[in-house]
Amino acid sequence: MKRLYWILLGVFSWSCQEEVELPLGTRSELIPTIEAYWTDQGAFNEVKITLSKDYYDSTEVEVISEAEVFITIPGTDKVIPFGFLGGTNSYRPINPLEKAVIGETYQLTVRWHENVYVSEGVMLEPPTVDSVTWKFEEERIFRDKGYYIKVYGKIPFEEDNNYRIRIIENDTLKNQREDYLLFDDTFGLAFFEEGLELGYSFKENDRVRLELFRLNRDAFDYLNQLVNLLFSDGGLFSPPPQNPESNIRVVSGPPEVLGYFMVTPVLSRSLLIQEKYD
Amino acid sequence: MSLFRVLTLLFLLSPCIQAFTQDGKFIYGEVLDVSNSQPLIGASVYWEGDSDGGVVTDLDGKFELLSSTFPGRLVISYVGFERSIRVVSQKDAEKPIRFFLKPEEMSLDEIIIQERKPDEQLKNLEMGKASVPIETIKNIPALFGEVDLFRSLQLLPGVQTAGEGTTGLFVRGGSADQNLVQLDGAPVYNPSHFFGIFSVFNPDGLKSVDLYKGNMPAYFGGRAASLIDISLREGNNQQIRGEGGIGSISSRLTVDGPLFGKNSTFIISGRRTYADIFLRLSSDDAIRNNNLNFHDLSVKLAFVIGERDKISISSYQGSDFLGLDEAFGLGWTNWVTALNWSRVKSEKFFFDLQAYHSRYNYSVEFDDPENGFEWSNKLSESGIKAIWTALPNEKTQLNWGVHSQFYNFSPIDLEPAPESAIQSIETNPKNGLLNNLFASANYEFSSRLSAEVGLRWGLFNQIGTGVDYSYEGGIPGPEAEITDSLRFRSLENMKFYQGLEPRIAFRYRINDFFSVKTAYNRNFQYIQIASNSSAGLPIDRWILSGRYIEPVKSDQISLGLFHNFDEDRWELSVEGYYKDLDNVIDLRNGAQVLFTDQVETELLAGKGWAYGTEFLLRKNIGKTTGWLAYTWSRAWRKIEGVSKNEAYNPRFDRPNDVTLVLNHEFSSSWSAGLTFIYTTGQAVSYPVGSYQVDNQSVPLYSEFRNLDRFPDYHRMDASVTWKNSDKGRKWRGSWNFSIYNLYGRKNPFAYEFRQIYNDDITFDVGSKGEIISSRPGVVMTYLFTFLPSITYNFQF
Repeated sequence: MKRLYWILLGVFSWSCQEEVELPLGTRSELIPTIEAYWTDQGAFNEVKITLSKDYYDSTEVEVISEAEVFITIPGTDKVIPFGFLGGTNSYRPINPLEKAVIGETYQLTVRWHENVYVSEGVMLEPPTVDSVTWKFEEERIFRDKGYYIKVYGKIPFEEDNNYRIRIIENDTLKNQREDYLLFDDTFGLAFFEEGLELGYSFKENDRVRLELFRLNRDAFDYLNQLVNLLFSDGGLFSPPPQNPESNIRVVSGPPEVLGYFMVTPVLSRSLLIQEKYD
Repeated sequence: MSLFRVLTLLFLLSPCIQAFTQDGKFIYGEVLDVSNSQPLIGASVYWEGDSDGGVVTDLDGKFELLSSTFPGRLVISYVGFERSIRVVSQKDAEKPIRFFLKPEEMSLDEIIIQERKPDEQLKNLEMGKASVPIETIKNIPALFGEVDLFRSLQLLPGVQTAGEGTTGLFVRGGSADQNLVQLDGAPVYNPSHFFGIFSVFNPDGLKSVDLYKGNMPAYFGGRAASLIDISLREGNNQQIRGEGGIGSISSRLTVDGPLFGKNSTFIISGRRTYADIFLRLSSDDAIRNNNLNFHDLSVKLAFVIGERDKISISSYQGSDFLGLDEAFGLGWTNWVTALNWSRVKSEKFFFDLQAYHSRYNYSVEFDDPENGFEWSNKLSESGIKAIWTALPNEKTQLNWGVHSQFYNFSPIDLEPAPESAIQSIETNPKNGLLNNLFASANYEFSSRLSAEVGLRWGLFNQIGTGVDYSYEGGIPGPEAEITDSLRFRSLENMKFYQGLEPRIAFRYRINDFFSVKTAYNRNFQYIQIASNSSAGLPIDRWILSGRYIEPVKSDQISLGLFHNFDEDRWELSVEGYYKDLDNVIDLRNGAQVLFTDQVETELLAGKGWAYGTEFLLRKNIGKTTGWLAYTWSRAWRKIEGVSKNEAYNPRFDRPNDVTLVLNHEFSSSWSAGLTFIYTTGQAVSYPVGSYQVDNQSVPLYSEFRNLDRFPDYHRMDASVTWKNSDKGRKWRGSWNFSIYNLYGRKNPFAYEFRQIYNDDITFDVGSKGEIISSRPGVVMTYLFTFLPSITYNFQF
């Protein structure tokens, strides 16, 4: 709806934009950001810990490399330790064969100095992806001309239907605000069986990798709120900007932490867009 | 004209009523405005040299005066019109005499911009009430030359705007849905066109607008912040007349006249934009295939039945439509119909009956074979209100009555296209029945002291058909499991609330130039909009009070000093107020309210309060008229779950607000208007840092809401009007040239905190161009810098 308003204004050229420099507040204490994936595929399992910075600071974020990170299964003695890898600037399981098992509940713990952060998630059963196709489409409303990918599959679940499809196009993660493809069962899930068209246009010879995640609700809500925030233009039609609500709790230390812990199965497909297979 | 003003006028007319009781022969007649044949109410009629024995005209401009020695010189005078003296013979006196008065502005004398008496603000009990004559509104420089009612109300003290170019009103710390906008007594649920850029009322069809900023008589109620009481004009009963205008955005036409003889009139008023016509002229397909328009149409029929009854029927219909590429459409419509019956049962006893139906609906259509849908929703309010008024003596006025309202909020209806893979959505309806009993007494203890005491008792039932949900732990929330659902039959009680709303006001007149007033008001509001954006959208979801949503309660106390000077040419007022709000709602972070049947899980509730002081210096008489207003005010909210449960300022909290409105009549042909506005910037949240998530930089916000401010807002608008001063011509035209934002101030509409690629704010990552650099930046959007417009207005 907000975008329609901009169309309205744009049609009449009533609006102008320019870059400005506003005096912004800063924080004396930087806030840790934790991005943790725990999946059924070892390559995805990692924990990144970084620090926030001033808004205008265009340098790389500071990576925390000396934290203690591990995952446990509550009610058991199972501990999965993580170690820091300088190559990826992230923590990875010491034993790369460790991975999430369907139905299990996992608890992430991060200790950094006096600070302790904890989060939990349940490993859910993945849906089925039957096939992935692509087809050339002429320009449509809200869609550019190009090749469009369709994902066909089955989602037989009555609950916990919170999904994200992530796209890597020619080795680049599509992570602009309009690139997030998040869906739940608000409008049913029949469209997944009948073919879910991804909202991106591709061109001939694009290498595309699709990754489908089934998320716990709190992690899904985090991503939804993140997208809402990225779309916030600070105008009258946007809700007041708020940080996405993290599903990570602070056990000790300063009360703020950013980021998420996602326990999820991963289904992935790779394809090369070629006209002859259209 | 509001009922209160009518009654006040009747009260003032009591000397006239007394005159009817005298013995002797009378002469009869009526006094009309020569420019439009409208009756002039309250014109003085007397025999020359005997002004004490004179009378004033009634609601229909009629009078009855004890006859004198014939021939006699009869004087007819009315504020703002040329005085007329006519020799009346015995023969003249045998039949009703009609007098036409010329407005003084036509003879280059001083002009009057208000309809009320010059010392009205000293005499009456009204506080926090503002009346802006329609003629004044028409003289205010306008955006795109479109004279706009709400944009004019934003220039009054105590009224804030949502932002640049929008017509949303925030009155004394209340949110936009706490204003009741009513047209001839019927509520209008979405009073805006083009997403709030224009309000829905064509000024040519309006008679009056009164803004009650919280203090209102007991026969009004239902919203916590304000009442905007708009009356459609009645047609004249002499001949067909018309007026209209051709502007940059739209054209309008109003025609009025007698319907079936002199005792019935009609007026029909319409307006339509022609943006879509210009769009079709574009060579760019992307623009040409879009559709964008709005229209509104109002009709009012009035019938005078005998000596004692008057019935009017009003109807308003207005629609917007935005279509993109013939595949996407969004439209919304207001349709309001009202029936008003006024009966003068005796000289001291009156009865008014109003019945109305107001419907608002919107529709969104997306024509797509796979994901197409049609989504629509509608809500309606039907009501009937009966008011009895008694004037037992010159010092007392009594009102009592009943007002019943039925709300019907239809289910959200989302129907997929035949081949669409998405699933339909249908929620449950919400219905409410609100019965109000009210009574008030207005008593003048002495010439100095008068008081008004009123009580309104609201009895609200949320009723079936509907469904209530029970949640684990008894508290709804996104994580709470639904443990049960209860289905209610039609009209079955689901939840009951009741509340007493006392209304008290005192006026003490210190002398002929000063008076002091104080008032206390309580209002309950049983419907709200579930939204946390500052500007209203056509798809906003209205919700009723119910099991989990308590009615909003507003308590306001106010104190004011009122001063007139220079023979009532100038009015000065200073009003202070404090307002408490209970059960105001906000939304949870990431709330989705449009399609859910459990909207209560997405809501947060809390308190609010506001306080302020409003200064108003107003010049009503003379070639130069206008006002200077200054408001210092604060608005606060405290809602659990927002801003770490600490008090915060809503976006429309703008402590300093200055407006200057000037209009000057240079000659009978030339006039000019000037408006200047200065306000503190809106309360907003700026980032305090950034962090990395999902391989991108995300702005980091404080957990406390709205600690920052936009830069101060200021703007000057100007207009020049030239009109044909040849008053003998049938067709009278005028040209208005306006400039909005005269000095091109770049007032921010929005600040966007985002990455800027290649040092180019227009660079589109999706365009797949090569990204050379990336850095965080701030992009300001601003609207309407130096916007000229021209409008041709006409009368015939």
